[in-house]
Amino acid sequence: MVAHLVRLKLTLLRNIFRRSRAQAIGAVIGILYFAVLVSGLAVILASFRGSLDAARVVIPLAGAAGIVLWTVVPLFSFGSDPTLDPGRFATFAVPHRELAVGLVAAALVGLPAIASTVLSVGVVVAWSHTPASTLVAVVSTGIGLLTAITTSRWVSAMMTSAISSRRGRDVIAVLGLLLLVVIGPVISVVANLGSDLRGLATAAARVIAWSPLGWAWAAPGDVAAGDVGIGLVRLALAAGLLVVVFGLWSGVLRGEVDNPRAVSRSDSGASLGDDLGLLARLPGTPLGAVAARVLTYWRRDPRYQISMLMTPVVPLALLIPFYSGDVAWTPLLMGPLVAFLLGWSEHNAVAYESDALWLHIVSGISGRDDRRGRLVPAVLLAAVLVPVYVLVGIAVAGRWELLPAALGLSVGLLGAGYAVSSVMSVVLPYPVPESGESPFNAPPGAAGITIAAQSLASLGTIVLASPTILLAWLAWQGSTWAVWVAGLVGVLLGVVVGVTGVGVGARLYDRRAPELLSALRRA
Amino acid sequence: MSDIVDLPAPQGGPTEGPAIAVRGLGKRFGDLIAVKGIDLDVPRGSFFGLVGPNGAGKTTTLSMVTGLLRPDAGQAFVLGRDVWSDPVATKRLLGVLPDGLKLFDRLTGLQLITYAGLLRGLSRELASERAAELVAALGLTEAQGKLVVDYSAGMTKKVTLASALVHAPRVLVLDEPFEAVDPISAATIRRILSGFVESGGTVVLSSHVMDLVERICTHVAVISDGLVLATGELDVVRGGRSLEERFVDLVGGSTEVVGLSWLRTSSD
Repeated sequence: MVAHLVRLKLTLLRNIFRRSRAQAIGAVIGILYFAVLVSGLAVILASFRGSLDAARVVIPLAGAAGIVLWTVVPLFSFGSDPTLDPGRFATFAVPHRELAVGLVAAALVGLPAIASTVLSVGVVVAWSHTPASTLVAVVSTGIGLLTAITTSRWVSAMMTSAISSRRGRDVIAVLGLLLLVVIGPVISVVANLGSDLRGLATAAARVIAWSPLGWAWAAPGDVAAGDVGIGLVRLALAAGLLVVVFGLWSGVLRGEVDNPRAVSRSDSGASLGDDLGLLARLPGTPLGAVAARVLTYWRRDPRYQISMLMTPVVPLALLIPFYSGDVAWTPLLMGPLVAFLLGWSEHNAVAYESDALWLHIVSGISGRDDRRGRLVPAVLLAAVLVPVYVLVGIAVAGRWELLPAALGLSVGLLGAGYAVSSVMSVVLPYPVPESGESPFNAPPGAAGITIAAQSLASLGTIVLASPTILLAWLAWQGSTWAVWVAGLVGVLLGVVVGVTGVGVGARLYDRRAPELLSALRRA
Repeated sequence: MSDIVDLPAPQGGPTEGPAIAVRGLGKRFGDLIAVKGIDLDVPRGSFFGLVGPNGAGKTTTLSMVTGLLRPDAGQAFVLGRDVWSDPVATKRLLGVLPDGLKLFDRLTGLQLITYAGLLRGLSRELASERAAELVAALGLTEAQGKLVVDYSAGMTKKVTLASALVHAPRVLVLDEPFEAVDPISAATIRRILSGFVESGGTVVLSSHVMDLVERICTHVAVISDGLVLATGELDVVRGGRSLEERFVDLVGGSTEVVGLSWLRTSSD
């Protein structure tokens, strides 16, 4: 069985080169690139043989990072290697233990595992001070590598069973997003601690070496430094950890194989009973119903939650050049940027509902109700976010005299964005991830149209708001008259353009709703 | 589509003439002509079954009648009103259950039915009252507060049917309403539909389960390859035989099984 699985993986590995010639060449170049990178890293690791003290700081940290990587990557790429998905083996009568060992062995054949093995060789070289430390290094590095791979299998199997329920998928998607959002600030905080990086690393290494992540990577260092007792304790702990992780993996595997996807419907969350939610709270008209439904979707569909989370976060990036450099003007754009994003992000709104639009069509609701109802939640959000961001930006930059211009520019961009979105979501829907899919998955073959449509929406918004943009620029240049004119023109033009655009979108919807439905079914 | 007999459009007000009339209706998808200019009359008060093999054009036809797909040729009338020139009036008369289209499945069952009612312009009180009644009638009370995305295929059909009924339409157009529905739910749906027909409504449904159509329909049309092969009262169309025999006869094709001798396990 183990041999079968390993052979299967080898075949798949070979098949990387069996696709079209261009793809094969690309794969070869990619593999060469990473081979050079990995070999270089391995040599660097090996070079720590020269300084035991440095090695005892760097290698436990690097090893722990390796285990974390092996654990985190399946969070994003779960299911990407179906040969290792335990559920697939449910129909074959394979003993659990053999399957558990076989799948780990098969994972060892993959490119990431080969790269890790090369790095591990570097680690062993770094520890080869005495025969004893070399021996311990071989054993413990092997244990560390196996622990990393088994953990990765375990996490991946748990993900697979979690994503077979809708709630599990949603939770994972949102967690993944939060992780991505958090990574940036963490990196910048760590980078700011740069002055004391050395002390920090030493302290961290000392802690890590006693944590499950570091046992295997620190043990040879203890032996090399003469603390044979501590080294052997860590080695024993590392071996124990491997046994525990393997047991966990084996348990999840058993559940998956004996009971494949059996729980997919059982944990769909609490019943809301006869509560109508927002449908009972907004006006009981077609327009109110559409608005209530879109608002409900914002709460329940992770794809909307992601743009909801991103829209307020992105303008905060404008604070970075202000605080880190001497760029005084960027916070002024916080309000206009959030306004732009709020209007622009609606330009493909209909595609997220896919062909569920049929209900609107057979109900014969007017384009006005459809278009306006959809925008109500975005307008409500803008009514809160835009004033806050305009005021915060102005206050941070300390340019209160520019307030009317910033406000005008924001309203102008918002109106232009709503106008463009109302028209584009009828005329040019493009494919988006299906509901329930990972929001990070791009639908195959949709990259071109996605980029084109997004650029068009941006360009359209900017063109429609160009008079206001020009006036706001003049105001910033110091023309006092332009400050108030920009405010006035921005608000007026924003409202007029917005209302007109929504009206045009409504007429287009009335004329081409069936064509829109066909386009959505293809998308 | 030039060889189509140019039948006159149904005349008169909504109280006379057929419930649905289709005249020279045609649709082309690229090189494929899915519906080849068909004529069809669905009598008022009938329980009308549309049968045909996979890919015959059933869904395409029904989509064009319900305003979901614009025809390339011909016209469709609901109670004497042109679907494509007077869409607002016809849509008020129609209740639609399409096949293979998604729902707003992040709403609960009860919310979805209420939403459909509100879109139809019902007041909130009326919409939620009817939604609660439909939920009870279709046996969805247990699941009314769960999201539709977590429903089984049969429950999804039932909640879609409820959304089609909530505004009390005069004509129901149902595409494969019994697919993936368990026998008990199917019986419930059948009773509701029969009651609807008895009280003067008209039901059009498509199916490829001949048994079912034979049991519940008063009229049938057999379509294949985008053409109507036979239409009329059930007994007339089947001509003394079972509908399945007549259907195979009309559509052609063989039901003989060739090969697969290794599937017979009697040897061991």
